[in-house]
Amino acid sequence: MKKKKIGVYICHCGGNISDYVDVEKVRQSVEGEDIVFIAKTTMFACSDTNQRDMVDDIKANDLDGVIVASCSPKLHQLTFRNVSIRADLNKYTYVHANIREQASWAHSDNIIGATEKAIHLVRAAIAKARYADALETNKIKVTKAVAVIGAGVAGMKAAISLAEKDTEVYLIERDPIVGGHVAELGSLFSTTETGADMIKRLSAELLKHKNITLMTNSEVIENKGSVGDISLKVRTSTSDSDKNLITEINAGSVLMATGFDFYTPEKGEFGYATSDNVITLPQFKRMIDTQFDKLTYNGKQIKNIAYIYCVGSRQTEGENTYCSRNCCTSTIHAAVTAKQKFADINNYHFNRGLRTYGKQEILYADSLRSGDIYLQSYEDGLPTVITEGKKTIVKINDILTNGREIEVEADLVVLVTGMVPRVDNTIGSLFKIPKGRDKFYNEVHMKLRPVETVIDGITIAGACQGPKNIAESVNSALSAATKSYSILSKGELETDPLVATIDPEKCTWCGACESACPFDAIVKVEKDGKTIAEINSTVCKGCGMCAPVCDPDAVNLIACSSKEIMSMIDALV
Amino acid sequence: MENPIKNISYDALVIGAGIAGGEAALNLANTGFKVLLVDKELSVGGKMIMLSKVFPTLDCSACITTPKVSEISRHPNITIFTGSEVGDIRKISDNEFTAKVTKHPRYVRVEDCTACQLCEKACPQNVRDQYQFGLIGRKAAFIPFSICSPKAAAIDIDNCTLCGACEKVCPTNCIDFTQEVEVLDLHVKTVVIATGFDMFDAKKMPRYGYGQYKNVITALQMERELAPTRPFNTILRPGDGKVPDKIAYVLCVGSRDASVDNPICSQICCMYSIKQAQLLMGALPMADVTIYYINIRSFGKGFEEFYQQAKGMGVNFVKGKIGRISEKEGGNLLLRYEDINQGKLQEAEHDMVILSTGVLPNKGIDKFFVNETLALDPFSFVGQSDMLASPAKTSIEGVFVAGTATGPMDIPDSILSAGAASSEAISYLIQQA
Repeated sequence: MKKKKIGVYICHCGGNISDYVDVEKVRQSVEGEDIVFIAKTTMFACSDTNQRDMVDDIKANDLDGVIVASCSPKLHQLTFRNVSIRADLNKYTYVHANIREQASWAHSDNIIGATEKAIHLVRAAIAKARYADALETNKIKVTKAVAVIGAGVAGMKAAISLAEKDTEVYLIERDPIVGGHVAELGSLFSTTETGADMIKRLSAELLKHKNITLMTNSEVIENKGSVGDISLKVRTSTSDSDKNLITEINAGSVLMATGFDFYTPEKGEFGYATSDNVITLPQFKRMIDTQFDKLTYNGKQIKNIAYIYCVGSRQTEGENTYCSRNCCTSTIHAAVTAKQKFADINNYHFNRGLRTYGKQEILYADSLRSGDIYLQSYEDGLPTVITEGKKTIVKINDILTNGREIEVEADLVVLVTGMVPRVDNTIGSLFKIPKGRDKFYNEVHMKLRPVETVIDGITIAGACQGPKNIAESVNSALSAATKSYSILSKGELETDPLVATIDPEKCTWCGACESACPFDAIVKVEKDGKTIAEINSTVCKGCGMCAPVCDPDAVNLIACSSKEIMSMIDALV
Repeated sequence: MENPIKNISYDALVIGAGIAGGEAALNLANTGFKVLLVDKELSVGGKMIMLSKVFPTLDCSACITTPKVSEISRHPNITIFTGSEVGDIRKISDNEFTAKVTKHPRYVRVEDCTACQLCEKACPQNVRDQYQFGLIGRKAAFIPFSICSPKAAAIDIDNCTLCGACEKVCPTNCIDFTQEVEVLDLHVKTVVIATGFDMFDAKKMPRYGYGQYKNVITALQMERELAPTRPFNTILRPGDGKVPDKIAYVLCVGSRDASVDNPICSQICCMYSIKQAQLLMGALPMADVTIYYINIRSFGKGFEEFYQQAKGMGVNFVKGKIGRISEKEGGNLLLRYEDINQGKLQEAEHDMVILSTGVLPNKGIDKFFVNETLALDPFSFVGQSDMLASPAKTSIEGVFVAGTATGPMDIPDSILSAGAASSEAISYLIQQA
């Protein structure tokens, strides 16, 4: 075989890499390798200028492959594959070395070590490039339907938006009715419509679309296939549990809009479940929506209301370190509404710094003008709720009045409970959706791919991804709908040929690979009188779980062949 | 090249090629629609392409924008006009809008320019560089900035003396002073407004001394000092070129302040200031950084953790609004403020002050529309006709809005808002077809 000619491009990442890795030293260390024809450093490998230079280099020197040593391939693999295509090179002859996440960021305390590691990573990439074959992509036909899971405001809007784009939609909701948390809401900030009315309006719109199949009382119980061709089993409960319906549906993409739960305070947390007039914000909202003239709780008229903010959010000792984003505005809106609706209400807000961001600031200003009292503490001086006889007293050392101890005798204490991820994560596990540090579903990249997950074809929308208000949920739902639609709109999809293959000579069918496969891509077949394993290449993800369990070494991963991996290991150690 | 086409049509017109407009254009183009993307600047990428790193992940901003920009520039369904303005938009019927696009001459044939910078070197005229927010100068013949797209020179005709030096050195003869303003008639089926925002002009608060004290700069200027393509290659205070070691951030400059006619919160300043503080701690390990704030609004995904991380790194947070800044001999600055924790008035000396200026509407968009009214909200941002259920809809059917044109928002929210606007536009195009 003719010796390959490879180009190596080492990225500064504008300092992200070059502040800790001596990129010039990396370049010098690899330029002498036999197959390396060109070795260059570049400020931004992903920039238009460098991409153009790469194309020119490849064409002018008739290169057989390129290596880019930069950030994680999660970010720019596609970018550089496209560069290869533009240079008439097979895109699988490009090999990536991650010297940012794996070298400069991981070892920012050790410049020499980080450089050393980067050199090894690039050498390993060169070793792989030596054997990297040109490959052809697989083309699959795409089912032009989307399964939207969860019919809260995000799921409903996503379904309507997809239906408007002539796409078949299955809207699957666990509850008997649609609308989620928003359907429970009365008056909303920034509009005159109530939450319930808004859901009614969206329901009417849903029903207009013939291409939406609404399935309530329904849960997905089985998930098979992969992007473009996903088959789901949906169980619809009926009053007679023996007569539950099972429906099979096919979709090209799944859009998750499963929402959030409200935080439930621990017993005794700010008097919750131990004091008889301590309730949560959602309970309070229902109270003000359903009562008229006088606001009462347990038969007693309410005048002084104490709101304790950040209950279950911004915890210093607990898991929920994040801010729940919309509770400040939601609480002030409820407080202002209560004051307008009922006589003699005094609002006391025990907060940790108000976060009425953007135009919501106007609401905060309105509440201050109407005489609401704001008392603030930091995380180390949270307010306390004390019961003295029949009185409930909330105490705080208020930083806005120079740390003075202030007591409020409250008729009602409202705990401003934040948003938490769904406690029941059956559906998330079924689809293997990754979670972030905050335990909400995680996107691939907050800015580049904010509604996609690492599972191809599965998008996320609304508060299942993290706390959001209604408008923010809708924005993310419509974005996710657009992404799901763009997967389907071409009718055909290219998938990577990076899958496992079986050597029928070596395979003795022991079943080990079948049980190791997380995607059910391996089946037992009879071929030429021999029982062997066969890979369904449209389902196989190329994860490699089957390779190490195969005793006779019959499994080979395309683009991760033993030859490639062993030579990479040799270069690394 | 003179554009011979005087009458052009596309499916969608996207006004503004910042991160929101770019995202909206890409979504439309990826689903098969032809898009015209217009920006009045010489490069696409909007404000984001000028930034250093972005919160809360500290990815470098260029690493996110440049590949997007490159994808936009190369997309077969997207046509880009930079240095161009849209006006006279008329709705003829559902699915039919006309508009006029004015292409201002760049005096450089972009397709022939190799960005060799010889014209820059030859040009004798120095002016302040708007793309470095006035921190340094540039020539009248110039490449806007190192990662601009299209990467080509331009002639700043207002500051050009027509000496011809650039023309003489240009190896590809791409400088062309005969270019003229070109007005094109445009037919489109839908319009997406992504005209972004303006920053508050800190000179409107003379008590902070911006424009008067050299060591008081804006956060956008600090972005440039921190960016990989930074002008000084280190952090300097502009007064005397000294490396600062006691830096102050003043939050809510021009936000949450009725006295300057902007009562709303700008939503991004807390976070960009915390981000800059973290970057400064990395760049200048010996420096003290203090942030003077009213409330810290770290509300987004990973934001609160980012704020706590800054505290852990030693950034000093002081609750109190700065009343006045005065300059001492030698260029240091005296900040007078109410320290809320101490409950008294205090003074603190810093050697550099960064004003975290707020977000204002990019005014005048409503004037683009002639036969229908584009409603604005009380703060002059583009009004949202169904704010909660369809945030991208405006008062004109078929015209949608994306990103900060509707109000302050951070990058992730701008991208989601662009996703929503493009979704509405795609639905509109399909439904009306």
